[in-house]
Amino acid sequence: MADKSKLGMEFPLYSIKVAENKIVEFAAAVEQKEDTDHIKEIYRDVEAAKNAGYENIPIPPTFPTSFAFWTGGGLLATIKAVGADLNKLLHSEEEYEYYAPICAGDVITRKMKVVDMYDRGRPGRKGWHVQVTILETELINQRGELVLKARTTFMER
Amino acid sequence: MTINFDEVAVGDAIPSYTAAPITRTQLVRYAGASGDFNPLHHDETFARMIGMDNVIVHGMFIMGIAGEAITSWIDNKYLRKFSVHFLSMTQTVNLDDFENTKGRATITVRGKVIEKYEENGEKRIRCDIIAQDAQGSRKLTGFFVAALP
Repeated sequence: MADKSKLGMEFPLYSIKVAENKIVEFAAAVEQKEDTDHIKEIYRDVEAAKNAGYENIPIPPTFPTSFAFWTGGGLLATIKAVGADLNKLLHSEEEYEYYAPICAGDVITRKMKVVDMYDRGRPGRKGWHVQVTILETELINQRGELVLKARTTFMER
Repeated sequence: MTINFDEVAVGDAIPSYTAAPITRTQLVRYAGASGDFNPLHHDETFARMIGMDNVIVHGMFIMGIAGEAITSWIDNKYLRKFSVHFLSMTQTVNLDDFENTKGRATITVRGKVIEKYEENGEKRIRCDIIAQDAQGSRKLTGFFVAALP
């Protein structure tokens, strides 16, 4: 079970450059396309993206999930840092607030923090007792603008 | 095609979106794209070790499909908020038993406009969304907020 002394813990800051081919790969995955020429034009063609009002190729709405996975040792390191158990882990909620577009070429700094940890249900009753951990992540671009806030809730069963 | 605020009414359904039956290969592709290498999503021996019959689909893959449903209707630059609760696990289709297993792996996303309002000087809509498999099992529910021209 997650270690409640980690409540309030701030993870180290990590920065990552948004790679165009990573956007293509992500779009192909969620659009279930074998051929990356078949994904939406804005995710593979800079001109199409610019015509649609973006500075460069934009990210799909749930792409921000990858900033936590591709920095700081990824899922396993994050789980370990809060003392949680991978064998019991379930992702229960995810929320994004979008303040400005994130596009290919942007350098995004990830600021992640443990904002809540609590028990739900009755201790000792199997299947009725879970421990909840909530992580909040702010994404800040190379101009220092807060572009997105994410809230990830996971449970240990 | 851009949807305008004035064309949308509370109660309107957003166009429903049905994804292809999800295969294990697509889980591998999603894992590589997102960086989520939880073995629960590709390694059956791990799944069995923690008491599950099979690998399950990343919840975030289902949310990604829901994101596709939304941005097939409105441009993603108009999205202001997107929030979901995951309700149940999704199994992939078995290629050696496609007809009997495709229903559990085929996700349809539906949604409805529930509110129109102004905020931060923008004309915004709030829509409820739900993703279900072809057997009616609910995978996620949630909402999104969009600012429309």
